Amino acid sequence: MSVYVIAGPAAAVVVAGIGALMQPRDVPLMKRVHNTSQRILSAGGGALTYILLDAPVGDGVFAHPFQAILGVTAAGVVHQVVNAVLMCMVLSLERGVTVVISFIREVVVPTALPMLGYGLLGVLMAVVWLGGLGILAGLLVMVPLVVARWALTQDEAERAAQAAAMRAFIEVIETKDLYTRGHSERVSQGVGLLGRHLRLSADRQQALEHAGLLHDVGKVGVPTRIIRKPGRLDDSEMDAIRLHPARGVELIGNIPFLEEVKSAVLHHHEKYDGTGYPAGLSGTSIPYFARIIGIVDAFDSLTSTRSYRPARSVEETLAILEQDRLTHFDPALVNAFVHVIRTRGWVAAAEQQPAPDNSADATVDHDDMSLGSGGGASGSAAGPA
Amino acid sequence: MSAASGVGNDARGLGSGVVIIGAGMVLGVVALLMTLRSGVTNWPFVAMFGLLIAVGEMVQFNVDGSRNRAPIATSAALAYAMLGGSTLDTAPDVTQVMAVTWLATLAGLVPRAIAGLSADLVVANRRFISVACAAVVFAAVVPEDLNWNRSWQHAVPLLLAMLLAVLSAGVIDALVGAGQATERLSVPFPAALRDELVVMGQIGMAMALGGVLLAAGASLIGLWAVPLVVVPLLLTQFAFRRYASAQRTYRTTVRSMARSTEIAGFSSPGQNVRTATLAVALGNDLGLTPGRMEALEYAALLSGVGQLALADPSPGGASLLRTREERQRAAEIGASVIERSGVLDHVAEIVRHSNDPYRQGRANNADIPVESGIVNVALAYEQLVGEGSGQSPDKAMESIGLGIGAEYDPVVVESLRRVIGRGFRF
Repeated sequence: MSVYVIAGPAAAVVVAGIGALMQPRDVPLMKRVHNTSQRILSAGGGALTYILLDAPVGDGVFAHPFQAILGVTAAGVVHQVVNAVLMCMVLSLERGVTVVISFIREVVVPTALPMLGYGLLGVLMAVVWLGGLGILAGLLVMVPLVVARWALTQDEAERAAQAAAMRAFIEVIETKDLYTRGHSERVSQGVGLLGRHLRLSADRQQALEHAGLLHDVGKVGVPTRIIRKPGRLDDSEMDAIRLHPARGVELIGNIPFLEEVKSAVLHHHEKYDGTGYPAGLSGTSIPYFARIIGIVDAFDSLTSTRSYRPARSVEETLAILEQDRLTHFDPALVNAFVHVIRTRGWVAAAEQQPAPDNSADATVDHDDMSLGSGGGASGSAAGPA
Repeated sequence: MSAASGVGNDARGLGSGVVIIGAGMVLGVVALLMTLRSGVTNWPFVAMFGLLIAVGEMVQFNVDGSRNRAPIATSAALAYAMLGGSTLDTAPDVTQVMAVTWLATLAGLVPRAIAGLSADLVVANRRFISVACAAVVFAAVVPEDLNWNRSWQHAVPLLLAMLLAVLSAGVIDALVGAGQATERLSVPFPAALRDELVVMGQIGMAMALGGVLLAAGASLIGLWAVPLVVVPLLLTQFAFRRYASAQRTYRTTVRSMARSTEIAGFSSPGQNVRTATLAVALGNDLGLTPGRMEALEYAALLSGVGQLALADPSPGGASLLRTREERQRAAEIGASVIERSGVLDHVAEIVRHSNDPYRQGRANNADIPVESGIVNVALAYEQLVGEGSGQSPDKAMESIGLGIGAEYDPVVVESLRRVIGRGFRF
């Protein structure tokens, strides 16, 4: 950017070309040629803008600082637009239109403002350079840029660390029961798939995945012997199980998540007809995320091996979900989920688990929620909502 | 805004803070009076830089929990102290720089106080004093006839003078900050100074060079230079804010993870936090670096999670009642779980050896970190004095003293004696 001001627009294009020649040798030639020409074209667009605006070059900047700032900013905008258009052309030729839309949404839009903002440092560098410091100006400007880069990468690193800490958290909880190992991760992936299908915004998508990961963390407050107990649970044991959503909220209450995460953890065992726990909510008064997690939770339990029964197949489970659509779950969400699984597929848990222990009485896991036991679902005549 | 500071940081007497505030106030008032007598030069610059300093002070934030910084205010104030050149008829003199900086800093704190955010007068005055110092140094080394006339013969000496000025500001700030840390957290002074200088080399350098660039730019093209520096600074600060909030989430995740042992009934309520508070106090006393302090705090918090894999809780969560094999097995399981998460490697190492007796562990194996010994002692002391068992500190100290060299690391026990002697209570 500072080249525009120091040496003029033409030089900027040359610099862009030279900079592009310094690509690593292991990039295929075709790509290198493409990248180089793309940079030169983008810089060319920027340079034309700078000329059209009649922005100052060299010492003129001291007389017309505002024109220089305006020129560089406008050139930056054009540069980015040309760059984005070229990228979109390549992507649409290679991979189709959907990729282009997500590229614009995830790469172009978030980086546009920072690029322009840091472009201003270029003007400053030019001013200080021409002000007598020469190359030293470049060294001075490097430091704020390095710090900015550091801050941006730190943010990323910290997010990764947090995700890892949460996974460790889940691992701690799941040490108590061989059969639930990996369940939380899979539910998190499942709600992630469904969330993307439902086009949630980025932070809600992340919140939903967190909620899926943490939905069972309250199980740590349920005595191990109850969790591992084969056979039917008596009422007091069932009460202990029913406490786990509230325990979970108690545990994660201090973490600054969106409120939706906490409500989802608290209500993921509610049923659509109001017979669930802890609050007996029904219909759409059950929080949206909780309805999503309820479906994926049940789906993963049924496709996993339990100590008292083998895993069911994915198809069989989807049929059960559809059959119980009107009692347990939000019908619209069930349809969406069935669609997602049928199109995207699902890696069931059964492969990684111990074989069931057939000596135990056949009974019902708290996650199974008496699914497919024939009760309730009579309204299958109702079409898809 | 104030991030959750490390445990144990809330014991905040003002102490020497009174001296810092007093010095700042006296300096500010005197500078203001002198400026009013001699008259103010170059109002547009006064207004613009005053505004920048005030806004920058308003959007201050905390670095790594407890270090408060205001990059925009610092850069702007330093730049104002180092103006000189062609666009200004006369550069502001030292008293005016001090007066403007002081007034703007206080003006920036007022809205924060009204909004109920943290408004730390001590830190604000620290910033003011270091800027005043830079102004004095810059004025002292730059001769009258040196200005930005676009020749390198002038520009390079000016740059050197600016670097000297910001360096002196940084050193003053680090010395004062280290003194404060020593007083508040009982960190040995050399260790505190080392930590402050590290921070100065990172964020401090960025703020200082921001100030240098702004001063040079404003001297050359006037106030148009302001957006050129402030916009990128704001962007960086925004990125940093997001980082700080991600860090907060991470910290609370670890703390919640630690509470899982309480919910499962393996430890009494607050036990993990009490253990961590003591461990942090010991770590401060021994002068560990900030990175190691963080790992130590997490390790103390998470030292009990391995118990979750053991069958069912022991009464009252007193793991002293368990057999040594069980405790070591729990530590091993906890460490391997923490390790699998892939971020807390050092923490896992500390937890792994947190139940090893000193004689079989650290005494003969230099690889085991001193932090393990700290966690071990903190756990033991908490169980003797903490809720439920409630021995007196002296009696607990005596019991732990009996295990010195065999069960507990002598260095840590001595440190515990000092920490308890200074009046540490849960």
